[in-house]
Amino acid sequence: MMTNYEIVVGLEVHAELSTKTKIFCGCKNEFGAEVNTNVCPICMGMPGTLPKLNKQVVEYAIKMGHALNCTINGTTKQDRKNYFYPDLPKAYQISQFDIPLCANGYLDVLVNDEIKRIGITRIHIEEDAGKLIHDDDLGGTLADYNRCGVPLIEIVSEPDIRSGEEAYAYLETIRKTLLYLGISDAKMQEGSIRCDVNVSVRPKGSEKFGTRVEMKNVNSFHAAQRAIEYEARRQIDELTHGHEIRQETRKWDDVKGRSMLLRSKEDAQDYRYFPDPDLLTYVIPDAKIQAIKDSIPELPVQKAIRYMNEFKLSRADAELIASDKDIAAFFEKCLSLKDIEPKLVSNWILGDISRVLNDRHCGINDLALTAESMSEMVSLIEKKTISNAAGKQIFEIIIDEHKDVNEIVKEKGLAQVSDTGALSAIVEKVLSNNEKAVNDYKNGKTNVIGFLVGQCMKESKGKGNPSILKEMVIAAIESM
Amino acid sequence: MEKLYSLSATQMKDLLDKKEVSSVEITKSVIERIENTDKDIQAYISYNFENALKAAENVDKKIASGEKIGAMAGIPVAVKDNMCTKGLRTTAASKMLGNFVPPYNATVVERLIDSDAIIIGKTTMDEFAMGSSGENSAFQIARNPWDTTRVPGGSSSGSAATVAASQVPVALGSDTGGSIRQPASLTGIVGMKPTYGSVSRYGLIAFGSSLDQIGPMARTVDDAALLFKTVSGYDEKDATSKHYEYKGYGDSVKGMKLGIPKQYFGDGISAVVKEKVYAAVEKLKELGAEVVEVSLPSTDYALSAYYIISSAEASSNLGRFDGVKYGYSGSKRGNLEELYLSSRSEGFGAEVQRRIMLGTYVLSSGFYDAYYKKAKALQKMIAKEFDDALKVCDAIITPLSPTTAFKIGEKSDDPLAMYAGDICTVTLNIAGLPGISVPCGFDSNNLPIGFQAIGRKFDEKTLLTIAKAYENSVGGFAVKEF
Amino acid sequence: MEIDIKHIAKLAKLSIPDDKVEMFQSQMEGIIEMVENLPDIEMGGALIDPDDTMELREDVVEQSYPRDEMLANAPRMAAGCLLIPKVVD
Repeated sequence: MMTNYEIVVGLEVHAELSTKTKIFCGCKNEFGAEVNTNVCPICMGMPGTLPKLNKQVVEYAIKMGHALNCTINGTTKQDRKNYFYPDLPKAYQISQFDIPLCANGYLDVLVNDEIKRIGITRIHIEEDAGKLIHDDDLGGTLADYNRCGVPLIEIVSEPDIRSGEEAYAYLETIRKTLLYLGISDAKMQEGSIRCDVNVSVRPKGSEKFGTRVEMKNVNSFHAAQRAIEYEARRQIDELTHGHEIRQETRKWDDVKGRSMLLRSKEDAQDYRYFPDPDLLTYVIPDAKIQAIKDSIPELPVQKAIRYMNEFKLSRADAELIASDKDIAAFFEKCLSLKDIEPKLVSNWILGDISRVLNDRHCGINDLALTAESMSEMVSLIEKKTISNAAGKQIFEIIIDEHKDVNEIVKEKGLAQVSDTGALSAIVEKVLSNNEKAVNDYKNGKTNVIGFLVGQCMKESKGKGNPSILKEMVIAAIESM
Repeated sequence: MEKLYSLSATQMKDLLDKKEVSSVEITKSVIERIENTDKDIQAYISYNFENALKAAENVDKKIASGEKIGAMAGIPVAVKDNMCTKGLRTTAASKMLGNFVPPYNATVVERLIDSDAIIIGKTTMDEFAMGSSGENSAFQIARNPWDTTRVPGGSSSGSAATVAASQVPVALGSDTGGSIRQPASLTGIVGMKPTYGSVSRYGLIAFGSSLDQIGPMARTVDDAALLFKTVSGYDEKDATSKHYEYKGYGDSVKGMKLGIPKQYFGDGISAVVKEKVYAAVEKLKELGAEVVEVSLPSTDYALSAYYIISSAEASSNLGRFDGVKYGYSGSKRGNLEELYLSSRSEGFGAEVQRRIMLGTYVLSSGFYDAYYKKAKALQKMIAKEFDDALKVCDAIITPLSPTTAFKIGEKSDDPLAMYAGDICTVTLNIAGLPGISVPCGFDSNNLPIGFQAIGRKFDEKTLLTIAKAYENSVGGFAVKEF
Repeated sequence: MEIDIKHIAKLAKLSIPDDKVEMFQSQMEGIIEMVENLPDIEMGGALIDPDDTMELREDVVEQSYPRDEMLANAPRMAAGCLLIPKVVD
């Protein structure tokens, strides 16, 4: 049944920005303070107070806009969204209506190993509301206004998402992007990132969108995925039974794994948006918009996609490296210093280096290890100047000491002997001591070669280059 | 020293400078005057006498020790009760805020305190500044000192009445559609609505945010200018505030071009008002001004644009009064909806509810474009017309109130008749321009009449100069013995 | 122009008693009639004015107010919070 229908999802993500102060007053923007202590007449909506827009909020939002490939509306305004609720002290939320700061962008996300492009309708800035705490003992509700005026961006996607899995990948990518840009804590459990989900279904191949249902109270990304899957199933079920889908808002109950009606379209709010007369038009100069754009690092998902294309890394490896900007920088610096195999560097990073970082609970820049020494070491392995085992010995030194890799090789005598003159005596000795193996080889048991090379390595005290020794052993037997 | 209270602020300042009187003496005189007369004038919702005396003692100490004192040191000032005063009840003349004590000062109040002015009390007004008579106060109706059966005008009714009755030399009013100028005109004093953005609105309980502006009311032009100079200028707390520089004023209109728009002298204006305003224009001509005709054809629409914009903004601004955080909390609290409905319906007066309803309607889904958006477009058109007119003249002279002061209760049942009286004043607020009300005579009932001078943006200098030249030419404005 | 007074009152959170609906109705309609004679003019797009702009605030912390002062005007409070009738959603 599911397969005859296509799921259409659009997401609205609210993320709190990690500015020092609130969006319209100088109160601290901080989570977890004692109730009603980060408040002032402005964020409490006292009569006579006026808002003053925080510049950093605008700049952070523009940053996100660039990251999501949006057009930036450098000349814009704030609008009032009017509704009554006890967590909203002014009875209006200062938001943006018809000219969002950022619009018409997109975000590439990885779903399995596929790249999926999701349109971004708009990003706008607005203020958060307070918190209501329900208290049965008091038989009422308590209002804490610390969160009033905490800056938010609302990121609205196009209805381009086609499954719960895609929604999850989109949300994770948004979260990582916020973190990477350093503009939000993006902590679901502290409510600093929240999402509303719009779900509809339509027969496969249909151009027309189905009736949209909005889902509230989606408290985690996994919950979003579950809510979408549940809601799509519910809608398809309704349709296959010949029922119509009603435009409504439903509340998701993640524990029970089902949604229930919150309000129908008839109860839709009339927000009476109009430009906030306390805040005039504001202009962000083009040069500033460009400077913000220039300051944005490449985003994890873009980086991972590039690593997959350019360096032929697997999706898993590419994402792992790209997910930490210091590690990614280290990786790329190694590759820029020496012409070495990216996969080899990636293996070192995801193997030995990651193990050390985990053990020590630190970042790659906390180690003495440099891209110079790392790339030199990998290069020596690749050129077979040293063995992989010797590489590991060197690694244990260079993670904590600024020492020249070639010096270590010399000091510890780790260089492999590749000089055929020096090795031919060893080969000769090993072959004469192992006549049986030589005969076995001649009789077609070619797998004894490993044993013979091993004996040569032992004889060279580990310094012989095994691949050269292998060639020499084969050549010697065949010329016998 | 007797009748210290009746001196102008400038005279008080002079005596204080010469150390002929003390700040405490002036303050005591003013307090006594208010105590003797306010039962008849009803100008104050709250007195601040105790603090005023303390502040006066402090000024005297400063003077005695040779410490530097502010520009308004020792001058008693009344403040309209829609400007927040820390620790002093601020009601906006509404039951809704009957017990509201702000935890902060409005910027203008802060500036008065910084200038060592003595805040004597909070004056009554139309509730939330909505009205033109003062009758919409939830607490008391201020009386016109020229005839106490009549209104002093509004919404700054108490500020106008207290100054006209010589209870204080100066007071702050606020003007959204004429609320400083119209009561000034009806009580025979000087009142100026400055350019939008020249005085901070921070701490002014908002009515129509894009139109509201605080300004001075006084019996002399010098006093009005002194108070304006003290409270004006950029405030970082108000995003609509501009970097305004006070430029002083002169006393000669020689060579000045004054525009007369015929649209402001129509049938709606009473004959005596027209006569006195034309006479004032003649006087200004005698003083050397040149008179030109100008046209402001969109004036007819200004009143509509004004009621749409101001009501829309008010409906949103007054949403915060919900019985939860401060102010009046309704009699029904069974659930949230009941609390909201009972708080707002019991806390707001009829006129305020009417404007909230109108504002809600014009912003509601399906009507926004037809009303609000159109009114905003009209606002631009009106502003453009003024700009053009003020290219060919330095200021525009018009009547102010269509009639002189009316009887208490005469119009209060008919909102439309009341609104129509705002026709000459609202255009300035719509255009964001400064305007001043200057007394220019009396009708046959000895009720004052004022003319209005309208200037270019941030050109209060020209308005004060016209007012000063006129004041000198008539030998000062008449003061009601009361 | 008939105005749905009940609907507008609901949006504005005002309860207009039944015997006052008619008065409000006629007064509001009178006002609307007055404001309705607006001319047809070019309204342009969004309501922004690049010629009249504002300055933005630097992201610098200012001292918040003591809780007691901020809640001094509250009609009802408990546990450092405002107390309101139970909100269900």
